[in-house]
Amino acid sequence: MDPFLTSRIVSDILGGLTNGVIYGLVALSLVLVWRSTGILNFAQGAMPMIATYLGMVVFAHRLGYWPLVIVSIVAGFVVGGVTERVLVRHLYGKPEINPIVVMVGFLIVLEGVAAAIWSTTPRGIPNPFSPIDWQLGGKPIALSPFSVYEIVTALVVMTGVAVLFRFTKLGLQLRASALAPEVSRLLGVRVSQMLTLGWILSTGVGTICTVLVASNFFTGLTPQVMDGIFAFGFIAAAVGGLDSPVGAIAAGVSMGIVLQFVGDFVNSNAIIITALLILIVSLMVRPNGLFTKSTARRV
Amino acid sequence: MSRTHTRRLATTGSALLLCTALVMAGGSVITAGAASHTPGVTAKQITIGATVPLTGIASTGYNEVAKAADAVFMYVNSKGGINHRKIKYILKDDCYGTPGFGCTGTPSTVTQTHALLSVPVFATVGSLGTPTQDSVRSLLKSNGVPQLFVNSGSRDWNNPTTYPGLFGWQSSYNEESKIFAKYINATYAGANVCFLGQGDDFGSDGLAGLVAGGVTPSDTQLYSVGALVVTQGASLAPYIARFQTDKCTVVVLDTIPGATDAALGAALQLGYSPHWVISSVGSDPVTVFAPLAAKGLTTDPEVGAVSFSFLPTPGSSSAWIPWMRKVLTADKSQFPGFSSTTTLDGNMEYGIGWGVAFVEALKASGKTFTRASFLKTLTSMTFSQTPSLTPLRYTSTDHQGLNGGYLVTVTSSTSAKPIDGKIYTTDSTSTGPVVSAKKLSSGIPSWLK
Amino acid sequence: MGWLVARRRLVLAIGLIVVAVVITLVVSSNARHAAALIVALAVAIGGVTTLTIRGFRPSHPVLARATLTIVVLDAALFATYFFSSITNFNLAIGAAMSITLLGLSFLTGASGQISLGNSAFMGVGALTVAIWANHHATTPMAVTLLIAVVCGTFVGLLLGLPATRLRGPYLAGMTLAFAVAFTAIVNSFTSWTGGDAGLQLPTAVTPPHWLTSFFNAQTSILRVNTMWLADITIVVTAVAFFFMANLFASRTGRAMRLVRDNEVAAELVGVSLPRARVIAFMVSSAYAALGGALWTLINNSVQPPTFSLALSITILSLVVIGGIGTISGALIGGVIYAYSNNVISWFTQHTGINPQGNLASQLPGIVFGGLLIVTMLFAPMGIAGAAHRLWGRRRVRSPE
Repeated sequence: MDPFLTSRIVSDILGGLTNGVIYGLVALSLVLVWRSTGILNFAQGAMPMIATYLGMVVFAHRLGYWPLVIVSIVAGFVVGGVTERVLVRHLYGKPEINPIVVMVGFLIVLEGVAAAIWSTTPRGIPNPFSPIDWQLGGKPIALSPFSVYEIVTALVVMTGVAVLFRFTKLGLQLRASALAPEVSRLLGVRVSQMLTLGWILSTGVGTICTVLVASNFFTGLTPQVMDGIFAFGFIAAAVGGLDSPVGAIAAGVSMGIVLQFVGDFVNSNAIIITALLILIVSLMVRPNGLFTKSTARRV
Repeated sequence: MSRTHTRRLATTGSALLLCTALVMAGGSVITAGAASHTPGVTAKQITIGATVPLTGIASTGYNEVAKAADAVFMYVNSKGGINHRKIKYILKDDCYGTPGFGCTGTPSTVTQTHALLSVPVFATVGSLGTPTQDSVRSLLKSNGVPQLFVNSGSRDWNNPTTYPGLFGWQSSYNEESKIFAKYINATYAGANVCFLGQGDDFGSDGLAGLVAGGVTPSDTQLYSVGALVVTQGASLAPYIARFQTDKCTVVVLDTIPGATDAALGAALQLGYSPHWVISSVGSDPVTVFAPLAAKGLTTDPEVGAVSFSFLPTPGSSSAWIPWMRKVLTADKSQFPGFSSTTTLDGNMEYGIGWGVAFVEALKASGKTFTRASFLKTLTSMTFSQTPSLTPLRYTSTDHQGLNGGYLVTVTSSTSAKPIDGKIYTTDSTSTGPVVSAKKLSSGIPSWLK
Repeated sequence: MGWLVARRRLVLAIGLIVVAVVITLVVSSNARHAAALIVALAVAIGGVTTLTIRGFRPSHPVLARATLTIVVLDAALFATYFFSSITNFNLAIGAAMSITLLGLSFLTGASGQISLGNSAFMGVGALTVAIWANHHATTPMAVTLLIAVVCGTFVGLLLGLPATRLRGPYLAGMTLAFAVAFTAIVNSFTSWTGGDAGLQLPTAVTPPHWLTSFFNAQTSILRVNTMWLADITIVVTAVAFFFMANLFASRTGRAMRLVRDNEVAAELVGVSLPRARVIAFMVSSAYAALGGALWTLINNSVQPPTFSLALSITILSLVVIGGIGTISGALIGGVIYAYSNNVISWFTQHTGINPQGNLASQLPGIVFGGLLIVTMLFAPMGIAGAAHRLWGRRRVRSPE
């Protein structure tokens, strides 16, 4: 039993799982925005980054870790809602290139503003969990209290989103206004508010993810903290299908594990190249993602 | 019909005007000639410049280096300048040639060097980075602009036949590794050594130095900076896991600070604690520990690591340390918050090190000088009163710079101390021995105090 | 009637040239300069005269475009003689960039696809030149540029094939992944590409003797070199723009715009959608590669990390700000790229922002991003589109 838990294969699976849930969360936040408003949000990494700075840095001297997390998530809700109302509202019904370009512009502005205010020097976020792996017979298992915290938090968020959509009236309204806005409006759903809510939820999920990333990796919180992870989350969302939350999470987690094996057995260059190949092959097979049900739907 | 006629008249008329204007312009510019004096030097001022990473991945810590040198220049200016000339230092951000999101729209090193050339500058002094400075070697050479004290330990700067105006400053990666090898053989004889280096000449020269010094690592890994950035440092974890599986007891790191962080972090996570030997490039305790500090880590994993220094450590009794603090405290524009309680870090020391060297070379060049006479002074003198541990000496055939220093051990998250204080020198060849330095630097020149 | 006008025009043109020759001979003291001036003026006067012949542009569109290209080229080359070295260097960089911009402008404007991978295509061209030059130093420059374009086209084909089945966001995602993976791919073939450190050209591009002889001995080498670099780039840019202008107007160009505006209609009239998309992709990456190849010549070196996703985003921004799908938009974008930093540093100098502070170093990004948002929201056709609309409106309003 012991050698099995500390073996290379199990280590890779556990390490990959930890990365994978993060990719899954980013993918999920992308899907939430896509489903509600049909927009691919290129600022999906930068908006939560700003929220995390607002929460974690501005109040860092006064509050402990958990209140800071709450403040950051609230900041995330605000950033998401305001962005939808002020910026995104003008993009509905425009050619699909318009929102892509605007959100790319927003990404550059946010990262520039963050770096101008807080500089590009990394900031650490103290958290109550040790990043040191548990040992078994003098060998590490690829799990630490922190990575368990990461995985559990991600699972809770994913379950929460699923429950919201499946079992609540609000979730039904959200789904309805995304799929059939006209009919929903006739039935008394306040579609406009539902769209805003979609962005609020998405940025909230993104912020939780960013807080996890910024308090985990040894580089800390920087304005570019989500750039690399965004690319992987994006690939996961595209592979799983931008319409499918389940697909996004599944693709994120399995990509995390596959890429961990690639990084371990091949080299670090192969990680992103493999991700690119996975994306190309899966899109050749299913151009709208592996988990999307209706391939004909266009926004 | 009349409308088109008017328009045609207007068109031909303006074409005629344009022609005349061009002819006149041609006549006037052709006769203009360039005045013959040393570019960048006037009676009251000498203008120099550098391209450095003020933003982007390499900016952490490294953005202080040239600013610290500027603090030296400001200090000298406040005392009346050198031969009544004030030094004007122009810094251009090149983002280390890796424009990520942190520096969208930042021009390349070549573009920024062109901007410096058009100022014009007397020389570039203290530009940072191996690939970045390699890319402008021939541009600077073809325009006769000296490229002084490049901030990198590459051997590329020592090529006087092809690049007579190009000079390094710090001890080469190769020299540093040879001194490490001597230490490893003496202290951990027969140990299983592993090596992690950057995938360019930093890593390959460092490895060559180790081998030349008699240490052959059992496992050698080279990392890519690109992957390091994309994966937020996670790309180094598999290498460290492999070293652990290989049961290496000594790990040599030729890494930039961000990669040192990632390697130490990965080892910590794995519960792996070998003897670390870390290149001076990536070992500055303040820069390395800052990101780890706020992670709930109470102990700095770098403590106990062995590194190398060609400058006196901030905790040492060198007379230069209080002088450096004085200079930095005086500079309110680049280091506004620097006070007696601020930690003096390795990057600031580094910049002050070559800043002083430039000031002394300038003074030695006399009241009137040209680029050629300045370079001649530089290659014919020994600068034994600069902050470096060993004298700085260039010859017409050796442009590398410093060639020695002492081994240090990291004692806390903000400091390192010399292991035994013995200062070694060597060269960058595979056969040159590591020997105790015969000549050491001596004090601060009185005119600088 | 038409002939009569043309003959009068010819007489006028010859007259103008004679006047110009006389003035030149009087003013200029150097035979070389005089000859160059006369040639430049003759080309300009002849070209402008031809272009203003009524009915010439609609009846001979290709010839008209060629004439316009030659006139602009003539003026630009002439101007480089008077520019300072830094202006010429920026001009060269901007011209090379405008070729890349034109490629993306065509892809997005004509076929409605979006690409975030054009920095990587640029990198393909840039590296091809450097690798080739390091192995075959004697190959003429034009041939090396062509090889880079062929490589760029081929990589464009490789990525264009899967791209044919993808719609906007998925295509954007795939090209984004390619841009991110580019550095890793380069690092997998370090012995060829030089890895992160990149490659240098074995010999710098140097001006030919006849050009050097135009300058007196005191002129700095820098000025002559950068002028030559700018001239080469401008000539290549002019050729690239000429081809693209014809492609825009051709049957293929029309078919692509139909694909963009109405896929069903395009298929009904017999346009093959996948074929149109692959061609657009290949043209776009060929142009990006050409831009990158010139970039290597201008910089005398190539550093692969330059060709990051950030550069792709810059490219996209410039195309949008200049005006998607317009020829002039790509030129405007190139000019903005070349001189925006001068404008921004002028701005920081005059507003008292610490030039080495955080805000100053982030300002280019913030301004670029902000312009991108504002343009897309308020003038989606960019500067070129807005200018066109303004000009058109004024013409309608004038009482003639």
